[in-house]
Amino acid sequence: MRRADRRGFLLLGLVVAVTVAGVWALLGNLPEPILRQRFLVVPSGWVYVLGAFVLAVLGTATAAYAYGLATRPGRATAYALTSGTHMFIWGVILATFYPALILLAVSFNPRDTIAGALPREGNLLVRAGVLPDASEFSLVQYQKVLSHTHMLDYQWVLVGLLLAAAIGVLATKLAGRLAHLPAYRTDAWSRVLGLTIFVVAAVLVVSITPAQFYGLAADGTRVAPASDRTILLYIRNTLLVSGLTGIFAVLIATTAGYAFARMRFEGRYQTLLSFVFVQMFPGFMALVAIFWLMVRLDLVNTFTGLVLAYSGGAIAFSAWIFKGYLESVSPALEESAMVDGATRWGAFWRIILPVSVPMLLFIFLLQFIGTYSEFILATTILQGQEKWTVGMGLRAFTAGRFDTQWGALMASAVLGSIPILIIFYSFQDALTSQQTAGGVKG
Amino acid sequence: MAGGLVKSLLLLGAALAFAILVGAVGVVALRLVWPGLPAWWGLIIGLAALVAVLPVIARRYAWIMPWYYVLPAIVFLLTFTFFPVLLTFWLAFTDFAGTRNGLLNVATTTPVVAVDGSHLTVDNPLNLNCAVLRNGCVDVRAEVYSFESLPVVVTAYADGVLTLAEPLPRGREPRQVELFLPELGFDFSTLVAEVDGLELRLIRAPPFPPDLDVVTVQMADEVRRTIVAHEGAVFTLDAPLPDGFEATAIARFNDYGFIGLQNFATILGRAQRALIPVFTWNITFAFLTILINTAFGVLLAVLLNNPDLRFRNLYRTLLILPWALPSIITIQVWRGFLNENFGVINRVLMLLDITHTPVNWLGEALAAKGAILLVNLWLGLPFMMTAVLGALSAIPRELYEASRIDGASPWQGFWGVTAPLLRTALVPITLTGFAFNFNNFNLIFLLTEGGPPIEGGTATARGTDILISWAFNEAFRSQGGFAYGLGSAISILIFVITLAVSLVNFRVTGALKEVSNT
Repeated sequence: MRRADRRGFLLLGLVVAVTVAGVWALLGNLPEPILRQRFLVVPSGWVYVLGAFVLAVLGTATAAYAYGLATRPGRATAYALTSGTHMFIWGVILATFYPALILLAVSFNPRDTIAGALPREGNLLVRAGVLPDASEFSLVQYQKVLSHTHMLDYQWVLVGLLLAAAIGVLATKLAGRLAHLPAYRTDAWSRVLGLTIFVVAAVLVVSITPAQFYGLAADGTRVAPASDRTILLYIRNTLLVSGLTGIFAVLIATTAGYAFARMRFEGRYQTLLSFVFVQMFPGFMALVAIFWLMVRLDLVNTFTGLVLAYSGGAIAFSAWIFKGYLESVSPALEESAMVDGATRWGAFWRIILPVSVPMLLFIFLLQFIGTYSEFILATTILQGQEKWTVGMGLRAFTAGRFDTQWGALMASAVLGSIPILIIFYSFQDALTSQQTAGGVKG
Repeated sequence: MAGGLVKSLLLLGAALAFAILVGAVGVVALRLVWPGLPAWWGLIIGLAALVAVLPVIARRYAWIMPWYYVLPAIVFLLTFTFFPVLLTFWLAFTDFAGTRNGLLNVATTTPVVAVDGSHLTVDNPLNLNCAVLRNGCVDVRAEVYSFESLPVVVTAYADGVLTLAEPLPRGREPRQVELFLPELGFDFSTLVAEVDGLELRLIRAPPFPPDLDVVTVQMADEVRRTIVAHEGAVFTLDAPLPDGFEATAIARFNDYGFIGLQNFATILGRAQRALIPVFTWNITFAFLTILINTAFGVLLAVLLNNPDLRFRNLYRTLLILPWALPSIITIQVWRGFLNENFGVINRVLMLLDITHTPVNWLGEALAAKGAILLVNLWLGLPFMMTAVLGALSAIPRELYEASRIDGASPWQGFWGVTAPLLRTALVPITLTGFAFNFNNFNLIFLLTEGGPPIEGGTATARGTDILISWAFNEAFRSQGGFAYGLGSAISILIFVITLAVSLVNFRVTGALKEVSNT
């Protein structure tokens, strides 16, 4: 070992020792917490915590620098920067996850209020109500919001199938990664499983009916469910509406996008421009007009009406994206098909559509996610509680009541987030890159 | 051979007009057979007609084919985007509101006591409530009724449905039913919802079973007239009533009309109390939130763009979480976190002694504004980070290598290489973000509902209202819940601003130039 190396490791040990001791000293000697307006307060607590965090970041960076000096002196600065970066990013990740963590924690807490008494002993953070009390873990809230849901036997089979297929997808992915299988060997499996999930989920969504949420009273009459016990129905409604909107948008936007990308006709540019500009009108101010239309068509309080209204808003954007995609696809394929005698429509149907399946899936997902969070139009067109979407259902918890049932609200929120969370993370790369590309391109 | 734009549009317009006509006529015709047919059948019939007529046109004018590919999209855009926009533009110049919604107002039905040619004398002119209309009741449509009481024989009653012994005579509409409730000892009258053969369905079921021996149905005959003048209890119609028509009552429509630029004048008139504060906060909010999000987004993206950083893909996946959760859910959950007494935000702030007293996040204007910026940072950071990462990945690695070989520190590398190249990429990202947040209705509405109210402000433009939530409040939550004309005028203002921002964006990115060149 060279002398420089030895000095580096010595420094490393010293820095680690000083840092650990410093952080320990700061966090171990916090002033005694006091109660102020029913809040637990550590006087000047921020000084200690900030100090400990800064010390930890600096200490880690210095330690990494020392480690670099000892092993690769040329990269010492880079080591210091990188380790500091890791610390900082973990701080950001903590801040990002904290709300999600609390959301989960409250949903697994048996108490239905966030106003309850805080535990008197245990960790300081738990006593302050900043971290959840793990000892109170319970599934009561989920049991409550699902208590009016009566699944039929074949629906349980479908759920089982769905879970099996999902596990299959994960297993395929894992197997492909662990065994370093080439993509073509796992792709076929993934595609079959993905299609299974899609079809089973669609059947499940369509098969669930509002009648499954009614209870039976002692005298045999049907009892309507409370509005805070039917989150599954809201999810089903939302999935149905969003799914149909996505399909509709794809159906209508593809031919338009194809024409804009591949055909040259007079008025093409003007039509495209009007597509783009009409979209900029604040959409929901059209509420009265859309409601007027729906009344005339007898479509108020129907999913059909809502899907039609959503599709109207989704088409220009979808067509624009599809046009952009087709412009990146070489026209050679269709041209050769047309030389061989295929018609325009034949070329579109047999050549272009199969090639663009991933893009169509992407457009579908984009509209699906977009309409999942829509709220105002849904409130206008859908009226009965049986037709509510997730957003409307959650609002019933917080709006117009004196006492919000936080536990039930959070459990419903968790359940309502799951479908989108799964979809988003399954198609994460496609969704994020395309959406931001839309932002970059305008 | 190829047709021009005008000719194509004319042909398509003719085909659409034909389809609409067939659809409308078809529904009317089918309703003769099936009276309860829903109106959306017209859509199906019209669609069938369109599908039938299009090939006929294409045989004669083959060059129209490209338009057929665009036609479905155009039809949807016309119906659900273009038509509503046009209607909104028109309504911005009218006094359309809850009390002036163009519908017949049954509540104004007033007995007529005397008729003299086209002059009617009513029992109580206040009942027509002319004060809420623009010119009193002048130029307002009205229905004049001739009621006739018809005693009927009822065989059964159940759940608001009366079963008659014999069908009602034709020619007049049954409008109202008068019943006697023996248990209460008084009369009960309610409107008729629908007549189906011998069954008469009531709008409101009486609270107690009625006496079936004394039931009268008010049969009505009506004519429609326009009120041209009125003085006291005497109303003058534009034409005399038909011969033999015995007027017994009159009801007016909630007519609305063209008022020119008055809505815009109202907006300007409220400049001090509504327009200026709302507009200022709208711009400040959009600007600040983009500034904050961009600053954090660039910082994170630059850190994550370091190829030496391990787990960078994991970090990116984790940090994207707020984007993956549906905002309609997370915003409502944040409302709970910001609760003054029990929210976790205040608990953290109090525990660390950052604030001396709990912050009333949603109850004080300044704190609410801070809360909006905070929540929007949490919501918007993943998008900003990903967008900047995308822009950064377009910067060739060789530039960094070269700068490092030349002896530049990472700091110099950032300011010398990254920053200048990033600046051009950031312009469209921030402009898009600005346009989006300028109209970020969901955030404001779900988090603060525009509140809290501020001193000297109006009920519709409160502490954190932005233009679009102000427009929504005017349109759906004021003047009988519905000052739509005013709301429309505000949304035109928003449209102009959004258009301007987007035009700048298109100019910068050249997104539209690429279209026009081809």
